[in-house]
Amino acid sequence: MPTRRFFLHQTGLGLAGLLAGPWALESCRSTTAPIPIKGQLRGANQAVGHLLRGGTAFPAPTHEQHLDVLIIGGGIAGLSARRWLHRQGLSNTLLVELDEQTGGNSSHGQNAVSAYPWGAHYLPVPDPRNTELIDFLREVGTITGLADQGQPIYNEYHLCHDPQERLLIDGHWQEGLVPERGVPASDRAQLARFFALIDTLKQATGQDGRDAFAIPLDRSSADPTFRALDTISFADYLDQHGYTSPYLRWYLSYACRDDYGATPETVSAWAGLHYFAARKGKGRTQTGGLVAASDVLTWPQGNGFLLDHLRQSVDSPPEQPNLLTHHLAHAIQPHEHGVRVLCYNVAAKRTIAIQAKAVLLATPQVVTKSLLRPLAPDRAAFADQVHSAPWLVANLTVNSLPQGGGMPLCWDNVGYNTASVGYITANHQDVSDQPKRVITLYWPLTDAPPHEARQRAYRLTYADWVHRVLTELEALHPGVTPSVEQIDVQVWGHGMVAPTPGFVWGEARQQAMRSIGNQLFFAHSDLSGISLFEEAFYQGIRAAREIIQALHPSTHPV
Amino acid sequence: MVSEEQPRSARGNASRPDLLPVLLLVSVFVIATCGLIYELIAGTLASYLLGDSVTQFSTIIGTYLFAMGIGSWLSKYLDGALLKWFIRIEILVGLVGGWSAPLLFVLFEYVQSFRVVLYALVGLTGILVGLEIPLLMRILEGRYAFKDLVSRVFTFDYIGALLASLIFPLVLVPQLGLVRTSLFFGLLNLAVAAVVLYRFQDTRPYRRSFTLTMIVASMLMLAGFLGADRIMTYTESLAFQDKVIYSKTTQYQRIVLTRNAREWRLFLNGNLQFSSADEYRYHEALIHPAMQQNPAARRVLVLGGGDGLAVRELLKYPQLDAIRLVDLDPGMTQLFQQNEMLLALNQRSLLAPKVQVLNTDAFLFVRQDTSRYDLIVVDFPDPANYSIGKLYSTAFYSELDKLLSANGVVVVQSTSPYVARRSFWCIAHTLEAVGFQTMPYHAYVPSFGEWGYVLASRNRPLTSVHRAVRLPTGLRYINARTLADLTHFPTDMAELPTDINRLNNQALVRYFDDDWGPYSH
Repeated sequence: MPTRRFFLHQTGLGLAGLLAGPWALESCRSTTAPIPIKGQLRGANQAVGHLLRGGTAFPAPTHEQHLDVLIIGGGIAGLSARRWLHRQGLSNTLLVELDEQTGGNSSHGQNAVSAYPWGAHYLPVPDPRNTELIDFLREVGTITGLADQGQPIYNEYHLCHDPQERLLIDGHWQEGLVPERGVPASDRAQLARFFALIDTLKQATGQDGRDAFAIPLDRSSADPTFRALDTISFADYLDQHGYTSPYLRWYLSYACRDDYGATPETVSAWAGLHYFAARKGKGRTQTGGLVAASDVLTWPQGNGFLLDHLRQSVDSPPEQPNLLTHHLAHAIQPHEHGVRVLCYNVAAKRTIAIQAKAVLLATPQVVTKSLLRPLAPDRAAFADQVHSAPWLVANLTVNSLPQGGGMPLCWDNVGYNTASVGYITANHQDVSDQPKRVITLYWPLTDAPPHEARQRAYRLTYADWVHRVLTELEALHPGVTPSVEQIDVQVWGHGMVAPTPGFVWGEARQQAMRSIGNQLFFAHSDLSGISLFEEAFYQGIRAAREIIQALHPSTHPV
Repeated sequence: MVSEEQPRSARGNASRPDLLPVLLLVSVFVIATCGLIYELIAGTLASYLLGDSVTQFSTIIGTYLFAMGIGSWLSKYLDGALLKWFIRIEILVGLVGGWSAPLLFVLFEYVQSFRVVLYALVGLTGILVGLEIPLLMRILEGRYAFKDLVSRVFTFDYIGALLASLIFPLVLVPQLGLVRTSLFFGLLNLAVAAVVLYRFQDTRPYRRSFTLTMIVASMLMLAGFLGADRIMTYTESLAFQDKVIYSKTTQYQRIVLTRNAREWRLFLNGNLQFSSADEYRYHEALIHPAMQQNPAARRVLVLGGGDGLAVRELLKYPQLDAIRLVDLDPGMTQLFQQNEMLLALNQRSLLAPKVQVLNTDAFLFVRQDTSRYDLIVVDFPDPANYSIGKLYSTAFYSELDKLLSANGVVVVQSTSPYVARRSFWCIAHTLEAVGFQTMPYHAYVPSFGEWGYVLASRNRPLTSVHRAVRLPTGLRYINARTLADLTHFPTDMAELPTDINRLNNQALVRYFDDDWGPYSH
């Protein structure tokens, strides 16, 4: 808060200006001009990635390296596979990542105020039956033990602190994201009916005895009753079942955009329902409190916390690193003892050749298709089907947030009918209180088909984005602009896969997961059709198991 | 009466001489409204800032009316161009009356004898307003019969007064606030001056010379009107009953000290922290029961309590070797290490050699500290928001548990078990959820009411039955009898089931909001 002295000084200036005439006012204005907002437009990896589009002449390899397994891609899927391989004793591996840091959608940053996410920022409390994930959360200290009946005990610092969510609707911040304020009774009835349906679907099992909706989604029931939901769009499903309330439809649209970067018109009904019906987490806190499916785990750096632990779970000795960043795998060649991959060291501008018995492509489909085009054109064709949603993520450092009426600042702060899906407070989990915050604004660019929205986003300058981001934030906090100290912006051209109708349960996805010649393997959340940490983590383990099976056929899969 | 005049003004042109009386009568109405508003503002402000509204209103109204009398008497000395005098007076009334509220607000903290400034302003406004009506009557003299003149002028005067007294409490204060109301009526006075200046031919000779004055005056008023929010931001914390003798905005909070004849009080962000008259009750009850539980204590950690008053009580035990106080706000601890009056109250406790003062966040501190303490005193503000609520959570108490020696004891100030019964028991239950045995108790502190504390210990059963041989001498509240009484809870404060306060539910802040909500309106 400015001091009284400052005020008197300002008032004095103003009065002097009034008396001395317009020229004094002019000088007054220049001395009180707002401090410019610092920041930059990130997204350098897009330029590196686009080297793959062809036409680039990479230098010839300067040396050769021999390995058991090469992993291309340092996102969650690649790092999860690497962790699994090392746990099973397959330690002769190398991971290459084109970006300067590992992370993919779990990338994160840090400034003087707080760490903050550049992408995924939370993990819903997982289903206790997802044992691989539960084990990992025990490794990282998020789960501190198991209570009676095997219920996980959660570290209270990692559970999202209260207050969790608020929604600006009708000029007022209400608690929770489901619209309540000013919602007519008939709309409330539809909301209640929808959530009753979700409760039913959470319990539902198919004829095969499996859950109708599970995470990882490959563990969901194959029952045609449920799979039929994958053939129509979520919007059509809602129309057919009389879910027409604008409040409900806004909420579901928010949910789809938030998780899939796409609207209910674009995603399948199966995926739209999965968002809600697959959350089956439960557990206890360290002091015996109940942890419910609605609880989420979060950290200042978002899922960067999990990412860093995944990476650090495998030791990379500095003299013989098994993880190389800023390395672009640009060619895959069949070879007599496996596969030969050319990797371009972006910083040193030279190429190394790696011969591996198995290669895991833990890459998004947009990269996979470039690498596979010469080898497996059919696989490349699959990649073209992927609805790859562009996103804008902005991290803002603010020294205060002018607060309207209602609920105070929460972790997740959303506006009703806004273009973005709101912002999270990165330092929400801090136990100390400080007025400065880093807030992360999430903005799925769903106002045009993905290709068009992506090209448009690439063309915008930093100044354009600052203007858009501030306009968006002003709608939530009128008068906030002078409180903004820094804005950093990242365009995710291929932010995430969207589960369009037929994608999740179509044959093409199954085929895309299959290895080629027991030498090329595939893992990425694109292959699940929904971009969740849990899916990427699972995809990595699935592929690692296939690799172990391929290299050591006698072992039993674990 | 108005309608009788209106057709004339509608068809007539502005310079026709018969328009003058009508507009001047309308001016009577406006200035009467303004005059009463200034009086009401001064009365309200005086009660607001100085307390005791009956006295303030009474003396302000008396002074104001008396000053109006002086103004009326002085009016006979004004001769010559009466319209010109009237315009001058209106501009002055607008400036002085209009700026009176913002000026009083801003000057309140800076001026030693605030009352002198207050009554001077009230007197000046009164004199100027007192000049208006006699002056107007003289201007209108000869245009009406005397009986009509008196009748019309005073009718408008009293209607204006009625209007002012109704809209002031019902519309203006709730909608505009005091500062904007004041400036708004200042602008109305200026508008009257402008109408007279520009609608009448008689003013033509000096119109030009007044124009610049009018512009500057209007801009001053407008600037004040637009900047009213700023003015109020700096003065909002002045809404205290007693005289503010110190105020400072630190990085973390606004510290305000007020005093009256009997006592002085410390407020943080407008919330009462203690009154010098009875703080000994609060602090004796905070420290001595805990020290009774663990007379062998050597090392003590105090969290919060930057006023040094809890430390003052601790220093009555010579066996203590080290007292570490952790308070977030250096502005607070420095104040209580430097100000002579406050040093007299805390008996220079924060300067004692045994005492170490750390200005850091308590939660971060307890997560990082690796030493052990025999007693931890938790003296945080009440859990009124989600940030403070974290300092009452299972996570926080688990950290305290790690810092306690084998026989260590924790005492937590726990808000009022009478006003915030659920909040109080929620704190006790939260300590129990972490594995502590607890002993909830309460004391009566007149300026707070019934106040609650929770003693907690991991290993030792806590009991209110004491031998009470180890109490320091010179205590004014705690003795063997009161110690035993503290743990008895009457039915209206008795234990009731509550949720546990965890970081992911913050049950306590929600209880606290509900419990104190009815008191905060």
